[in-house]
Amino acid sequence: MSNSFVELHARQRAEALLDAGTGRELIGPFDDMISPHLEPQGIVPESDDGIVILKGQISGKNALVVGIEGNFQGGGIGEVSGAKIVAALEHALADNKAGKTVYPIIILDTGGVRLQEANYGLLSISEIHNMVVALKKYVPVIGLVPGRVGSFGGMSITNALLSYVIGTNRARIALNGPEVIEQEAGVQEFDSSDKDLIWSTLGTKQRQATGIIDEVVDDDVDAFRNAITSAINENKDSHRDQQGDFYLSLLDQLDPSQPLDIDGYKKLYKQVKTTEHHLAAATEGSKPGTKSRGRQWFEQLTGIKNAHSDVPTVLHAQKNGREYIAIVADENNRFPRVRHGEVGLVEGYTVASVVNDLIKADANKAEKTPLILVVDVPSQAYGYKEELIGIHMSLAASASAYARARQAGHKVVAFIPGDAVSGGFLAHGLQSNRLIALDDLDITIQAMSKASSARITQRTIAELEEATKHVPAMAYDIENYQKLGSLYKLISGVKSYDSSAKAISTVEGVIDEALADLDNKPTDLSFRYTNPIAVQSGRVATNKVRRLMDEQWNG
Amino acid sequence: MEKLHFNYKATQPIDHPVHVGVVASGDLEVLLRPTDKDGAELAIVTGSDGFKETWEHVLDRFFDRYPIKANFEINDFGATPGVVNLRLTQAMEALKDEQ
Repeated sequence: MSNSFVELHARQRAEALLDAGTGRELIGPFDDMISPHLEPQGIVPESDDGIVILKGQISGKNALVVGIEGNFQGGGIGEVSGAKIVAALEHALADNKAGKTVYPIIILDTGGVRLQEANYGLLSISEIHNMVVALKKYVPVIGLVPGRVGSFGGMSITNALLSYVIGTNRARIALNGPEVIEQEAGVQEFDSSDKDLIWSTLGTKQRQATGIIDEVVDDDVDAFRNAITSAINENKDSHRDQQGDFYLSLLDQLDPSQPLDIDGYKKLYKQVKTTEHHLAAATEGSKPGTKSRGRQWFEQLTGIKNAHSDVPTVLHAQKNGREYIAIVADENNRFPRVRHGEVGLVEGYTVASVVNDLIKADANKAEKTPLILVVDVPSQAYGYKEELIGIHMSLAASASAYARARQAGHKVVAFIPGDAVSGGFLAHGLQSNRLIALDDLDITIQAMSKASSARITQRTIAELEEATKHVPAMAYDIENYQKLGSLYKLISGVKSYDSSAKAISTVEGVIDEALADLDNKPTDLSFRYTNPIAVQSGRVATNKVRRLMDEQWNG
Repeated sequence: MEKLHFNYKATQPIDHPVHVGVVASGDLEVLLRPTDKDGAELAIVTGSDGFKETWEHVLDRFFDRYPIKANFEINDFGATPGVVNLRLTQAMEALKDEQ
């Protein structure tokens, strides 16, 4: 009889993977580390906040198992749950750096950001991305997607970053769930009641055939243990986050105005002739591009008028030894779902190519070129083709490139004059070690639109708005965002569409300050939870989790 | 969401904490911690409002059978009385297994 892995809860799964009797739980149910954000919204918490962390051995090798409980709040990542994962991975990284090999295994059973903790979820998930990228230099970071939830949202990006991913046929992987696509783009785009279509598009069978997951095993504990052991022994790494040339070549051959079905995509996938893709710097154009806050500030900061780029949605250029990158709206783009500045398939991979080229060019330089990201991303692209091809992989490519640049010593500063939402922000912005924003209440900074968030959490928009009053992380405005401690500076007196010389010099001044502040500072993302606002109020629970993990890691 | 508190007379102390269950839809988790107090104290967070009497009935029967002197913490996501009883009984089994 097979010994089901899928049917087990997170704690049982983690224990089942480890050699009998070797598991030791860190920050367990009796450590009183529940989410402080759920009860104020009338939601029942869980004593482990849905995350089980076990240290132990697998086939005699030291391992760290992170299990996400898909049955608690859909496996959503909030502040405490996210901090538990990040703190554990950080210790695993420190051990590996010190020559004590520890193999991290992450069991993904998650809808992504826990919408009731919204911006905390996005911050935490970007911190998880950073850790996975850092760890891969030392050991394969193995992911399991057993089902039933699968791996969605920001955690599907984690999925794409992992070295090697093993699943069962009871799981699905996608950035945007079908319900959210239906809410954002209409039922013609993706019918969330068509279960066959959903499974054949997002299910692991199709995902394995198109490079999104490495191995599909039977729903059996030993099958997972064996697959993990061989992945460790053979040091498997699919480098899924560095397939930009392949996918950009694939997208060159795709006509987005035509329908694309599963078989059509499989055929296209097999026919791709990969060519190298490099994006030349933006140049002065003859006519203005689609108006947006991102474009305006890119042009103001680089001095390039009517900036023109071979990829119309991605602008980059150097000025005074700094590399500026923006993802911008393009009203006539051949991909309809990115026309308002959303981050789509082309955008993530293209940004990744720009950043990867810079990392390569600076590889032997002591002084690395700083990256300045101009952030005005209303979301990721919501579309059927996007999910079929795997838009989460594109976002992972750029998140990975930014993380690797920062870890290699490039200063990465994000300047936010526009919206910073969801997967778009994870791909372009949240890997920065300093975030700067304009104090303009027209800026939206969030995990999901109000309409979609209300639908997914089964609340009315009025109830959702009431919740935002009690939990700053639920709010949609930049002033509440600052209360989390996430920003290096909130610039007052400059509005999103300001073009005065004074406004520009104010912003330039703050960017200079941020770059100077990064001199001889850690190349990680710790600023967000160690600054005074974060310590006093914004990330109190995060810091408590971190202290507990420090105490418990070595037993 | 509603928070409920109960106290029961109890005689059997426990010497180690026990945790069972998951806060899944229609399910609950139960945490038991050793206590120096005279009886059992229960702190319940439940997603289903207005069931105080039902909880009382379930707990009366449980403590009749298992007068466990401990701090009980229960996080409930809409479990039926039958499921509540099942998880409490599982906690007793877990206590026995580890002793």
